[in-house]
Amino acid sequence: MKKNLKLTDFSKDGDTQLTEVNVDELIPLPPPYDKVEELPGWKRITEDQKERLVCNLNGFVALSLPKPQNKEEEKRYVEQFVSGLKKLLSWENNWTFLQPLLLSLDYCAQCQTCNDACPIYLASSKNDLYRPTFRAEVFRRLVNKYVKPGGKLRAKLNKRDIELNWTTISRLYELSYRCNLCRRCAQSCPMGVDNALITRELRKLFSQELGWAPKELHEKGTVLQLEVGSPTGMKPHVVKDNVEFLDEDFTDITGVEVSTPWDREGADVLLIHSAGDILSWPESPVAFAILCNAAGISWTLSSEVPGYDGVNYGLFYDDVQLAKIATKHAQIAKKLKVKKIVMGECGHQHKAFMAVSDRLLTGDLNIPRESVMTFLENLAFSGKIKFDPSKNDFPVTLHDPCNIVRNLGIVEPQRRILRYLCPQFREMTPHGVENYCCGGGGGLSMMSQTNFTDWKVNVAGRIKFKQILEAFSDQPGPEVKKYICAPCLNCKMQFRDLLAYYGAWEKSGITYGGLAELIVNAMVDIKKPFIEWEEY
Amino acid sequence: MAQLELAGNTYEVDDNGFLQETEKWNEDIAKAYAAKEGVTELTEDHWTAINYLRNYYLENGICPMIRRLIKVTGFNLKRLYELFPQGPADSACKWAGVPKPTGCI
Repeated sequence: MKKNLKLTDFSKDGDTQLTEVNVDELIPLPPPYDKVEELPGWKRITEDQKERLVCNLNGFVALSLPKPQNKEEEKRYVEQFVSGLKKLLSWENNWTFLQPLLLSLDYCAQCQTCNDACPIYLASSKNDLYRPTFRAEVFRRLVNKYVKPGGKLRAKLNKRDIELNWTTISRLYELSYRCNLCRRCAQSCPMGVDNALITRELRKLFSQELGWAPKELHEKGTVLQLEVGSPTGMKPHVVKDNVEFLDEDFTDITGVEVSTPWDREGADVLLIHSAGDILSWPESPVAFAILCNAAGISWTLSSEVPGYDGVNYGLFYDDVQLAKIATKHAQIAKKLKVKKIVMGECGHQHKAFMAVSDRLLTGDLNIPRESVMTFLENLAFSGKIKFDPSKNDFPVTLHDPCNIVRNLGIVEPQRRILRYLCPQFREMTPHGVENYCCGGGGGLSMMSQTNFTDWKVNVAGRIKFKQILEAFSDQPGPEVKKYICAPCLNCKMQFRDLLAYYGAWEKSGITYGGLAELIVNAMVDIKKPFIEWEEY
Repeated sequence: MAQLELAGNTYEVDDNGFLQETEKWNEDIAKAYAAKEGVTELTEDHWTAINYLRNYYLENGICPMIRRLIKVTGFNLKRLYELFPQGPADSACKWAGVPKPTGCI
């Protein structure tokens, strides 16, 4: 199957898969992961799925879009797409992102510099489908043709016409979820063009105009969060009950009294975790409780819907949902009369609430919002907590969540903590704002329909996995236990899938976790190791 | 929506095979799911976990934390994986007929 695609191929042969992933063509991994035959391979799309779902991109299906019933339905969607394109390009409908969108559409010089910055394109051994410029250029030509005056005629004359049909839009929909929105491409662009923004605008068009969005992000994501409080489905009484359970459990385990204040009016800090941490990585919220209490911080959690879950999947696909959730979070903080909000270890929460919402939360809703990184740095260096760094004497490397590091420039606080508390801390190459995404960014770590996880661990996360192995190459064997510090819930979800797929714990002794856990692990007052290497 | 035949009847399931109509669950469905994963007999330990998961779900609208499941049943994670080959979320929840856990978990 073709790896070198022409842009015009994109709208042809509707039901046929456009390209494929061939494991032998992906960039090689270091041993013992170089033996393809020893890896689990991946699930193929079944005949039944091919019958029911749109499977016309690359052999993987993230979205399970049902096939349309008839030509009329196809036509209706294509018309809606054109109407959505027009809205994206109009001030009234898209005042938030119109300017950067226009700049990115107008200023691309087609130099292709960004392609070599994209971890997905590189991991695929340069399959055209994943070029940041491929998706963006399809979009740009459609805009030129359907939105600009005289566009249809010009498209015909210059032979760069991309036909707009059901095939084009259904493939574009899937392709808009083959990008981590990590913005490494934007960083490398000499003109400042942001192809990740274009991808995200496309997702927005599909969601806001056609009603197409990944179930995990919309129906089981933002909709559930606004309705019951959290995409996990946790209602207020359930989250309180769970945290109470953890407080008791960890009081027994650590010998230190763990307690969590709820809904305390006038507290200095409203801490908003991602609620998934409470369910799946409970050491993280517990570590925060231990640190805040030990440093004498006046803090609280909120049990009001959705104030106990800081995630905001709207960032990935939909402005309306983004705004609704961000506003609720700010209103809850205002009601509690807290001095500031601290965002937990969650990258997209940072970007949604610290950066994007700045244009939304004005007046008395503009409550100061602090990153977890500076918050933890201040705790660690406050002098109020005693540490013994020799308790963390194992190899540690740091993963930079794109939204916190590249996109917000918060680079050093977390490193100062690790240099202080982890004697064997080592950087990955490259790191900081040059980092590579974990492969789960852009909402992908929540998405696991059909065989999509196999694509995430084989392609999207491939370069990150390689980087991790290289960072630990001085002690590669499983007898030395190693820790990837990943201070972001979405990154942790991706690392869980990645490490499990490759068997990296068994083969290399590599595990992962957050930053707060490492800090607590080094506390003199915590007698037993806080980090549990083997899963309980 | 995908369909799956379990214990002689056809049910709506998601693309990961999780039952979509949790009220239609019965013990034969649990046995049928188990058989698909190579577990031919459900022991008392299996039922302890399945019933706890199911009751917790019906009461709270979500599955319990794994830590809680471990504490209440007394089975550690290793034991849970012995009982449920794909683990507590992908096997035990599925066999108990409750939806796949969602969100950042």
